[in-house]
Amino acid sequence: MTPETIYGATGIALFAIGLYHALVLPSALRRIVALNVASVGAGFVMVIAAWRPGGGADPVPHALVITGIVVLVAATAVALALVRALHDADTTETDDTP
Amino acid sequence: MIPQIDLAAIDWMLVPVLAPLLGAIAGFVLPRAATAAGMAGLGLSAVGSAAITAQVRTGAAPSTAIGGWEPPLGIVLAADGLTAAFLLLTVVLTLAIGTTRALTPAPARGAAIFWPLMLLLVAGLNGAFLSTDIFNIYVTLEVAALAAVGLAVLTGSAAALRAALNYLLAGMLGGVLILLGIGLLFHAHGRLDLAGLAAVAGSAPSDGIALIAIIAGLALKAALFPLHAWLPAAHSNAQAPVSALLSALVLKAPLYVALRLWVGVLDPATASGTVLGVMGAGAILWGSVQALRAERLKLLVAYSTVAQVGLISLAFGLSAANPAAIAWTGAVTLMLAHGLAKAAMFMAAGRIVEEVGHDRIAELDRSPRRPTLAQFSFALAAISLIGLPPTLGFAGKWQLMEGAVRADAWIWLAMAMAGTLLSVGYLSRVLVGFLRFDRVRGAVGEHQGWTLADGPPLLLAVTAFGAGLFATHIIALLAAGAPLGQLPGAMQ
Amino acid sequence: MSPPDPYLLLDLGLAATILVLALAALRQRDSFTMAVVFILFGLLVALAWVRLDAPDVALAEAAIGAGVTGALLLRTLRHVGGERRDPAPVPRVVAGMLGLSVAGFATLGGLALMATPRHGTGLIPAVAARMDQSGVEHPVTAVLLNFRAYDTLLEVVVVLAAVMAVWAIDRTIDRAAAPLPYLPGVALRGPIAGAYLRLVLPALALIGAYLVWIGAYSPGGAFQGGAVLAAAGVLSALARGGRWPRTAATMPLLRGSLVLGVVVFTGVGIWAAVAGGGVLHYPPAQAKPLILLIEASVALSIAATLTALFLGHMPQPAARIALRKGTTNDT
Repeated sequence: MTPETIYGATGIALFAIGLYHALVLPSALRRIVALNVASVGAGFVMVIAAWRPGGGADPVPHALVITGIVVLVAATAVALALVRALHDADTTETDDTP
Repeated sequence: MIPQIDLAAIDWMLVPVLAPLLGAIAGFVLPRAATAAGMAGLGLSAVGSAAITAQVRTGAAPSTAIGGWEPPLGIVLAADGLTAAFLLLTVVLTLAIGTTRALTPAPARGAAIFWPLMLLLVAGLNGAFLSTDIFNIYVTLEVAALAAVGLAVLTGSAAALRAALNYLLAGMLGGVLILLGIGLLFHAHGRLDLAGLAAVAGSAPSDGIALIAIIAGLALKAALFPLHAWLPAAHSNAQAPVSALLSALVLKAPLYVALRLWVGVLDPATASGTVLGVMGAGAILWGSVQALRAERLKLLVAYSTVAQVGLISLAFGLSAANPAAIAWTGAVTLMLAHGLAKAAMFMAAGRIVEEVGHDRIAELDRSPRRPTLAQFSFALAAISLIGLPPTLGFAGKWQLMEGAVRADAWIWLAMAMAGTLLSVGYLSRVLVGFLRFDRVRGAVGEHQGWTLADGPPLLLAVTAFGAGLFATHIIALLAAGAPLGQLPGAMQ
Repeated sequence: MSPPDPYLLLDLGLAATILVLALAALRQRDSFTMAVVFILFGLLVALAWVRLDAPDVALAEAAIGAGVTGALLLRTLRHVGGERRDPAPVPRVVAGMLGLSVAGFATLGGLALMATPRHGTGLIPAVAARMDQSGVEHPVTAVLLNFRAYDTLLEVVVVLAAVMAVWAIDRTIDRAAAPLPYLPGVALRGPIAGAYLRLVLPALALIGAYLVWIGAYSPGGAFQGGAVLAAAGVLSALARGGRWPRTAATMPLLRGSLVLGVVVFTGVGIWAAVAGGGVLHYPPAQAKPLILLIEASVALSIAATLTALFLGHMPQPAARIALRKGTTNDT
């Protein structure tokens, strides 16, 4: 067993946990958190791909994960803004067409 | 003395990305000049796209390693016939939609932010069409996705907000799946460039799962059945020009990327082709039945998009499952035809709503107002979508069916025919209503309900209708650089 | 067989804790606890990534993945006062089928990943061979700002697109009917808070600037530094109850800060093309100052952007805000 197998399995497991909950959880806010968990799982796979036993990791996957984190926080911010706006719309409007 | 500029020496490759990007920034910083900045950005981007197309047509195979860094480290932008076709589709659609927006007299809600968002969307889409790096493609698709969500909420209704949230969550899920696939590919092969991946794809045990993840992510973003649930609400609740952008153009980017991967990188197995075909058949049936039941015009048009994406998926599947079929160009022609026709239909539907005040299909024939030109555009576009000769839709379906016949794939042929018949069914619901307008026509001399804004949808509909006559030119452009030449069975 | 590495036990413990925290966050009933557990999860992930020799990624995850996302979650929960459940949850049978397919996908994926040897060299030699032309000493920064600068440019564009989308969403809300919440529980007011801010804000600004500058030599960079600067922006906004300053200059200044990163990045890229190298092809002699210029402007933009994403609304003219002062978001 190596750190690679341990964290590789962790990454895939996190992705699966996030994916499943993003599909079934009954609240939009929760699904957003689940997508963030899944994305961390994908990040683990890339960090594993960069890792070398003797040190001296590959910088390219590191750059990709940083980009991925920034892209995801941007999307998360938009999704959360929609959650807030829906809350405001539902509290001000009596009903709307489904 | 005019300084001599050598046009051939200019590197046009980044112009279709950077021009709309700068237009978006100018429009964002100076909201009062947003329309001018937006049209300027689109215009400059059109010049770049036309220049790239001209280079492709001469067989130049233009490409640029950004920053001078060659792959596998750097990112290369490249163009072939397929790229050029989609760059041109983007030019035609965005200029038409942008002109409509600029001509609409009373600016709708969110007028200022529309332009920067639309230009960022164009930058993202053009970036995806030009890129040859899998991670770079992911980032461009995310630019387009967030801009599209911003556009989708502009109507301001709670229904639009809810639809946009589901749209965004589906897009984020698709993005995360693509990211996992990229991680697995890099782990096994240590590279991200499509050309390099093409040489090694399939050699590692994890490649299968990586490509399933990427294709599933793209299918989610392209609303391929059964991953389509987010589409009808998102597309029907947006403003008409936005619906046109989302349905006609934004969906095409993930389909385009999937086509690139499918033809250029993957080793398409028969089973996966059949899966795509089954998904396509499901989409045709589901989308058509929902379109037959839809009570509102825009919702009908949105469900028709689900069915049409299914038809395109069917063409993908046919080509992958039956190497003899060679229906790839048919699939691409269908994508172009759907882009033109669907944009015309949504914009015409938007004009009808503006004039009549609603889009309830059952009551459209009882209106005293008669938006003649919008109805005419809608009808022309519908004829192209159904695929009657001489439309571009006909050219696409002809190639698809010819491929199916050549491969003795009768079930596929039957599915394509069924899709056509169903589209006749749901579109004639609308067209019959248009024809019955005369029964309750208003008094003579009343405003006939047409404005300058009817021009762009009419132009698009005429293009979709007439482009079939130039199908040989379009197919010749698609063949430039042989993007679809690496067919299964004739692997490179 | 060599004796087991004691570090492996640490790894196993850390991996197990991360998985438990992820599940705990998602299955936690209380929304507020969920957000806190999610932040803790992000910090432990960062620790694991330090262990895997990815300090830059760990910094980004801690600052952005845990910090910014956590702040956004808490801010949203404050606004909506708890989660709203979907009217039609996923039926149990469908959830079960989805669970099975996800489990199958994960098992296949895990096995395939284990069966696949890591690519021997990756891009390590490609990066190492070109470091002397990159203009910086830190490989990750060289990749982000030079070798794959186009990705990074588009990444900054994504963040800008997010602000535009959030402002488009903000426009849809009738603020007369649904006034901005005052963020009462987190507002920093009073003399003690004032003294605290006078101490913390300069410190955050200094740390942020240091992270940006050090990125050229060692872990750090524009995004991590920008996130720290954003913390300063958010804190000073919270001192005003979560509002933008009510001056006429706020909007133009803010718009300028939001686009600064993209403008400088694109400007340098185009300048390089005009200078004869090609877009984003910096002359090696000027690469370092150009990269520092880009990093500084991107960091400022990221700080402004993250602050704007946190507040979630556009700056409003003073007259319109005055009408709504003192309103809360009770529902």
